[in-house]
Amino acid sequence: MDDDDRRLLEGSVRHACESSSGAALDLALDELGWHEALSADPSVAVSILFDQLGRTNAHGSALDTVLGFGLGRKSSSSVGGVLPALGDWLAPGLIVGGDLVIRGVGTASLVDRTTALVVAGSGARHLVLEVTTTDLSFRSVHGVDPQLGLVEVAGDGVPFQAQHDLGGGEWPRAVGVAQLAVAHALVGASRAMLELARGHALERIQFGQPIAAFQAIRHRLADTLVAIEAAEAALGSAWDEGSPAAAATAKAVAGRSARTSTRHCQQVLAGVGFTTEHQLHHYVRRVLVFDQLFGTTRTLTRALGQELLATRQLPPLPPL
Amino acid sequence: MELDGFRSSLDDWLAQNLDELTPVVGTVDTLDGQMAQLAKVKRLTYAAGWMRWGWPPRVGGLGGSTLLRAYLGEALTFRDLVEPGFYSMTEVLAPTMIDYAPPALAAEMVPRLLRGDETWCQGFSEPGTGSNLAALSCRAARDGDVWRVTGQKVWTSLAQYADRCVLLTRTGTPESAHQGITALFVDMDSPGIDVRPIETMHGAPEFSEVFFDDVAVPLDRTLGQEGQGWSVAMDLLPFERSTALWHRATYLHRRLQGLLEIVPADRLDPVAVGEVTQLLYALRSRSRATQHRLAAGDRLGPETSVDKVLLATVEQAVFDLVADGLGPEVTVGDDRESDRWRREFLYSRAATIYGGTAEIQRNIIARRLLDLGSGR
Repeated sequence: MDDDDRRLLEGSVRHACESSSGAALDLALDELGWHEALSADPSVAVSILFDQLGRTNAHGSALDTVLGFGLGRKSSSSVGGVLPALGDWLAPGLIVGGDLVIRGVGTASLVDRTTALVVAGSGARHLVLEVTTTDLSFRSVHGVDPQLGLVEVAGDGVPFQAQHDLGGGEWPRAVGVAQLAVAHALVGASRAMLELARGHALERIQFGQPIAAFQAIRHRLADTLVAIEAAEAALGSAWDEGSPAAAATAKAVAGRSARTSTRHCQQVLAGVGFTTEHQLHHYVRRVLVFDQLFGTTRTLTRALGQELLATRQLPPLPPL
Repeated sequence: MELDGFRSSLDDWLAQNLDELTPVVGTVDTLDGQMAQLAKVKRLTYAAGWMRWGWPPRVGGLGGSTLLRAYLGEALTFRDLVEPGFYSMTEVLAPTMIDYAPPALAAEMVPRLLRGDETWCQGFSEPGTGSNLAALSCRAARDGDVWRVTGQKVWTSLAQYADRCVLLTRTGTPESAHQGITALFVDMDSPGIDVRPIETMHGAPEFSEVFFDDVAVPLDRTLGQEGQGWSVAMDLLPFERSTALWHRATYLHRRLQGLLEIVPADRLDPVAVGEVTQLLYALRSRSRATQHRLAAGDRLGPETSVDKVLLATVEQAVFDLVADGLGPEVTVGDDRESDRWRREFLYSRAATIYGGTAEIQRNIIARRLLDLGSGR
């Protein structure tokens, strides 16, 4: 995608995310050609959309679409997807003794679809299955971020069809793309929080001057920017590398960066940032949930550390 | 030459010449030994042409992208052939000469630095002027066709080995702040210069105090115009915060790998190991993007303070992990390897101090990148 096309896509995606959410946003993205962009240039399409989702707090079924794309499936209005259970990156389905057990989450629209794609582990293999949504049980999640509209999905002994056997690396690769998407949303949300805190620091007068003049405030905001830039850089390398390990690292770096951003920005915004009159709380809520999707910062970090202590071999550095 | 071709040809050459390039065990335990090793590696890589790529022909280079010299430094650091901090002083000082020295002077001097014939130092900090660089007071006054320099510098890396010094002097009034600074290129064997190495906690006297007592410096050794010294410094510092860090990230990767190879498993928390590795990945990624911007001809500026904050954070995190994982070695080990881990741990404590403190970097980020207005 050339720079002009990229700017055009960015402008229309931003407008869509600022003016709509949920099913309306899904429709707007379809109309503006985001799905075609996803096929043509995944890194550009995913980074632009999820950055905006993070910045605007809009939501939709894009994460389903990205996971489906990672599995080589085209999205459609009648088929949704089941995401791994919160905190986890393992497949949401498990076939034990021929019975399909499902524990996962979905975006709000899943309830309205007729069919759901579920990846299930079966022995050493991963299978892509289609199930009928009426065979699943759903719980609308209120939780810390009711506006996100997540649903918890469960099913025991669920009938399934259309088996497709995934090759060895396909599930980790699909998870990797989804992790990069969530990481971009974390970065977008972090940038939005930094803008809010920066604006407040410049306007809020105490002791006769803007609090932005105080080093204690300046250094918190500087640390926030460093954390965000680190995550953005890791994301850039992870897209270039295309490996599941790099995607997991980028997700963990972005999750840690979002936690740093939340802590500093909330402190700079102080009292007003603790009220629901201010927008900050929406971001505080959302990044908590994002951190849980496709592996948390802590679980991804521990898994990496355990692997390193077992293999005693660092992954190669991304080449110049 | 393209990067991919350069990379594979250089890797082959290094493999073929590794015996000659590798220091004999024990010879680089001292600063003298490290400096001799650096000069040897520069001489051999210059003779084979590698050291000349990425530098302009008018200073003896062979042209090509700056990525070529970034890869050379990485490849030498990765193989533990050079001390990265000393090696990358070339990356800091040569661009300054190319941009600001009279062309004939740059053409004469830069090849000597690249070839390892000479060591140069950077006279910026003063006893009363650490973070507040614009307040420097080392005085230079015109006297016919020379500057006469009187004053003191401190924390001058490798001054006792240096043949030349890129020196910031006060040529305006004491109140002229950043407008009254002029950069000079000074021969370190000039009469009136006294160098006193500083004993440091990591055991290598790599920094010195440098005293100037009525030192004559020819006017044609002025870098840029009189009063332009602040611009010289502001253009130099981003190099200190870019290519030098690129090499340093490679060094940290090698040392973290070294730690993993020997640390008893039960001494480290997997979460800590994972976190440091992720941090290092982010630093490397950031530094890589900066190298590509430099190669594309972008002018580096205050955004390199982000790179420096990341470097300092990661360097200390890596060696905190070393202190946890190799506690007995670092604290009571007296063999050569333990001594090296201890020296490197102690040196890492300076990462938030050298090249502009962590606080100064955050001030730059706040003022220049976040546009928070003035304030300290």
